[in-house]
Amino acid sequence: MEAKKKWRWGVNRWWVLLFIVLNVIFALIFKPVSPHIQVAPEKLGQEPLFSLPVIGDFYLTNTMVAFFITMIILLAMAFAVKRILSKSTLEPRGIAGALEMLVEALYNMTESSAGKWAGTIFPWFGSIVLVVLIANWMGLIPGVDSIGILEHSTEGHPIITLVPEKVFAIVAGEAAKGEGYNVTPFVRPVSTDLNFTLALALISVIMTQVIGFRAQGIRYLTKFFNVTNIFKKPFFGFMDFLVGFLELISELAKILSFTFRLFGNIFAGMVLLFVMTSLIPYFVPSMLMMFEFFIGLIQAVVFGLLTMVFMSMALHGHGEHES
Amino acid sequence: MLTGDIVEAAKFIGAGLAMIGAAGAGVGIGLTVLGALQGMSRNPDYYGTILVNMILGIAFSEAIAIYCLVIAFLMMFVL
Repeated sequence: MEAKKKWRWGVNRWWVLLFIVLNVIFALIFKPVSPHIQVAPEKLGQEPLFSLPVIGDFYLTNTMVAFFITMIILLAMAFAVKRILSKSTLEPRGIAGALEMLVEALYNMTESSAGKWAGTIFPWFGSIVLVVLIANWMGLIPGVDSIGILEHSTEGHPIITLVPEKVFAIVAGEAAKGEGYNVTPFVRPVSTDLNFTLALALISVIMTQVIGFRAQGIRYLTKFFNVTNIFKKPFFGFMDFLVGFLELISELAKILSFTFRLFGNIFAGMVLLFVMTSLIPYFVPSMLMMFEFFIGLIQAVVFGLLTMVFMSMALHGHGEHES
Repeated sequence: MLTGDIVEAAKFIGAGLAMIGAAGAGVGIGLTVLGALQGMSRNPDYYGTILVNMILGIAFSEAIAIYCLVIAFLMMFVL
């Protein structure tokens, strides 16, 4: 076996120094400007893609572009893993090894909670973790949220021309009346779109109910409408009935909770990055991006973990606790 | 009825008041980590289990602070 090149400390520090110097130079030339922030995702074209008769128009938004990019990244990873695994299965190298570590950790967590239903629950857990992870981390790639189309706006900023008729840059300052521009980014992280998080939350909660019905049959409904004890023990039976009703409300609260937890974390991170970059462009955005990296990972794992825990809890009924 | 400046000021005041609720989340997360650290120091074998459950508990508690943040964003950017 050939000798591996000895890894030396300090090779990458010159790259870091170069990037810091470039950061300071560019922040002095083009002072960063806080873009226009809105909760709803911005439309990219003026014509809708298609229209449904009752629901309305569907436009291409910048979060949809990010979602397509997320899907392409996931598919590329899947094909890469397939190619790596078809060569040798003993010790997969590269991305297949990393994904195998992730899958093994998640599967062990599922198996400790769910037992023999781990095979059914794990695909939901793993898929949600992978999709939300890549969707959250997309906000850290340079170019996302910053490169886009210029649009006239009343509270805009003046622009300078980098490449005539094609590339412009927004500079800080007050624009002349009616001449201000704002950027509509091409790509915006998809977790900042309430549609995406609401859809994932609905999928999660509805599949929890489906798995509950598959595991317990029709007796799953006694979790919500608990009429088993109403005539045996008069007072406590009625309390059980009210608790069951509370469980129903709790399911709806779970949908809202899933939606706003993921949306709030990633949207707050995006707003924080915008505002802090426009205030102090030198070292603080790097620290915030490291924090965002961590938060994106935690939120993805928490979304999946909560889905898995709720599905595991739906497998067992009320009165089956072993003492 | 109200002029633009008063509406702008009211937006910021409302957003600031809405974030007072995040204090509860701070206390909750602190108590969660307190319990987790005590558990980890008493049973070092169960570090992994306690860590995973601590992260879960922190996510639940932080979600309440995020609800307050969503109301603040609603006031500042939507309405």
